Amino acid sequence: MNRTVLTIGVIITAIIVGLLFLGLGKNPNEIRSPLIGRPAPSFALREAGTGRTVDVAQFRGKPVVINFWATWCGPCWEEHPVLVAGARRHPEVQFVGVVFQDTEDKILGFLEQRGVSYPTVVDDRGKTAIAYGVAGVPETFFLDANGAIVAKYSGPLNAADLEQELRKGVR
Amino acid sequence: MIAALGRILILGSLLAAAAGALLGFASARTRSFDGLRWARRMAYVYAALIMGAALLMEYALLTHDFSVAYVAQVGSRSVPVWVTIVSLWSSLEGSLLFWGFVLGAYIAIAVWFTRGLYAEYQPAAIGVWLSCATFFSFLLAGPANPFGTVVNPPLDGPGPNPLLQNHALMAVHPPFLYLGYVGMTIPFGFACAALMKGKLGHDILKPLRESLLLPWVFQSMAIMLGGWWAYEVLGWGGYWAWDPVENASLLPWLTATAALHSLMVVERRGILKGWTVTLIQATFLLVILGTFMTRSGVFNSVHSFTQSAIGPTLLVFLAAALLFTVALLSFRIDRLESEGRIEGVATREAMFVINNLVFVLLTFTVLIGTVFPLIVEAVSGKQMSVGRPYFDSMVVPAGVALLFILGIGPALPWGRSTREQMRKALLPPLIGAALLVAIGLLAGVRNAWTLVTLAFGGYAAWVTIVQIGRGHILRGRRRFASYIVHAAVIVVLIAVAVSSSMRETTELHFTSGQTQRASGYDVKFLGVFQQQEAHRSSLIGRFSVSRDGKEVTLLEPRMNQYEMMREPIGTPDVYTTARGDFYMSLSNIDPATQTASITVYSSPLIVWIWIAVIVMALGALFGLRPKKVVAVRDAKAAVPVGSAPEPA
Repeated sequence: MNRTVLTIGVIITAIIVGLLFLGLGKNPNEIRSPLIGRPAPSFALREAGTGRTVDVAQFRGKPVVINFWATWCGPCWEEHPVLVAGARRHPEVQFVGVVFQDTEDKILGFLEQRGVSYPTVVDDRGKTAIAYGVAGVPETFFLDANGAIVAKYSGPLNAADLEQELRKGVR
Repeated sequence: MIAALGRILILGSLLAAAAGALLGFASARTRSFDGLRWARRMAYVYAALIMGAALLMEYALLTHDFSVAYVAQVGSRSVPVWVTIVSLWSSLEGSLLFWGFVLGAYIAIAVWFTRGLYAEYQPAAIGVWLSCATFFSFLLAGPANPFGTVVNPPLDGPGPNPLLQNHALMAVHPPFLYLGYVGMTIPFGFACAALMKGKLGHDILKPLRESLLLPWVFQSMAIMLGGWWAYEVLGWGGYWAWDPVENASLLPWLTATAALHSLMVVERRGILKGWTVTLIQATFLLVILGTFMTRSGVFNSVHSFTQSAIGPTLLVFLAAALLFTVALLSFRIDRLESEGRIEGVATREAMFVINNLVFVLLTFTVLIGTVFPLIVEAVSGKQMSVGRPYFDSMVVPAGVALLFILGIGPALPWGRSTREQMRKALLPPLIGAALLVAIGLLAGVRNAWTLVTLAFGGYAAWVTIVQIGRGHILRGRRRFASYIVHAAVIVVLIAVAVSSSMRETTELHFTSGQTQRASGYDVKFLGVFQQQEAHRSSLIGRFSVSRDGKEVTLLEPRMNQYEMMREPIGTPDVYTTARGDFYMSLSNIDPATQTASITVYSSPLIVWIWIAVIVMALGALFGLRPKKVVAVRDAKAAVPVGSAPEPA
């Protein structure tokens, strides 16, 4: 047996596997947005279907989940049931869907087919998405009861990640 | 229906691979001929099933069967047929299925070509190949199942990532990469088998070399095609950004290149056996590391797939493969006896050793630069990235050193030589060096590194041309081929040095009808045009480019807005000549006011990088001789090691 080869080999293996393992622990979807820790940009947008104005400020006092999505986005279809179920499970948290680059009839068709448990507003000119620095859909922001952003999640949420992120906002 | 059939094929391939792996290892121990025969059969069964599964998925994609989960995820009725075909490897599950397809093909071919040969090594090699196959079939059967069923199939899907739809080069870059990556499994199997046997005989060198050379050719092409694609599509005028995943494709290429060279020393001198085997194994391990980088989501990159579900599984496989390799090496490396020694520094074999050391140094440099952000994050919790300056400052000197050895090495004879021989071999090529430097100076090259590159390049070119002139194309086929590859490498390195150090960048703002000058060309803006296609809409800026009052080309850089993406994707347009490229990229365009802002990059010699890599690949392929000829030749040339003639 060649002890030198064994020693060097084990050291290299330990370093590489150890580093990659540490890397695995973090979720690449959990993006460090510069907005985290800051007050969420305010918006007041038209709710799809009803036409009434929904102002994010009116939810102050409870944690808020803002989900940016669109009907043309495949991963959003995948994510939708997770959010609908999450909103039903957590009445103490206010969920809001923000749709951009889309038409109202498509949105309503989508919601009718796939169910809904929270208001969906239409970001006609994409101004709100820009204010939040949305790079692509779906992207989800978690606000605490004071209206400050505590987390940003890029990509479709699954139930486990949703619960984990919610805990940050409720805390 | 298709989903169920696909599941059956994958589960079947998993069973066949696992059974074949066990049979292979068992028959390596017991030397059972029946065991080997069944292991071989299992290898064919595995290949048939996994390739069948991939073709089935291709069928599902083409028939838009949205009840198959993967089709629902990446399929779309509105994209062209070629995009549908390449969707197979556009997302995680499909890309692993494609991996399986390529692995199946490689294993079947390797088993077929080694039938009745290398009986000492074959059973264990099949065991290793099918162990890898077992792992990838396991991924497809569980964590990354592409054949999930969609209960309420949608009428249409989102289509693959728009970046993949933006250029036809995307249809070829990934397959070449897979052919390179996956192919490294075969030499890995041979190397492991040699270690298990405790012997790296002369007989195994040929399959080892050929099974390494073929994926090396694909890997070289893949790296070039990736760079070319980035150049044609991403619009920043460059082709290489030291992105973690680019590095991941370069790392195994570096060790494979080193191994191809050290194999020659093994062949000629019977030394460096353990080292060579280690390099081949490292190549495969770096492939798995690269796969982990793209598939785990640990690294952020244009190449990354978003899901990270298979990250842990891949890491377990990587760890297992590393430990297996380390154990095998430490228990068996001492049995690979040296049959000779190096006879001094000024010999060709010494140059091979230096070449190998530089390649390994380069590998470590790139590897450390790639994982350094992970180290920093592990220690301090901060996110960071290692930029171009680190890589450039480390890699440029190493590249220049390699170019130097590329000239000196082939000029030196094998074994010891007299002072007179050395003088004759080493002095004349200096003319080549002086010539190329003079040409460079006349053409305006002032950058010191570029001039050094030209000097070493000229030296190496002289040596290479003399060697090509000496060899007979058909008789000395392997030798001829390797010098063609060398010549191409010289061209690549010179083109890289010149194009990157002499690039001119100009930013211009236009209103319709305006003419401005950039890098010796007159650019006239003809206006903004719009184009609608099924899957995208484009804004096109049209520019007439002329030189000395004569229009040479019409360039149309564009902004493509894909249905599925919010941000538009810019596509540059390039006017390519042998002397250099005139590259135009839109930074802003407004159809209402008919204005546009562009960035123009003028880089000399770029096109020679692509051409030379293609020549390099063709040259290497030319060196892979058909089997029959080889068998006859090898029978004739059964000369003892050390006194063998120049490899033909």
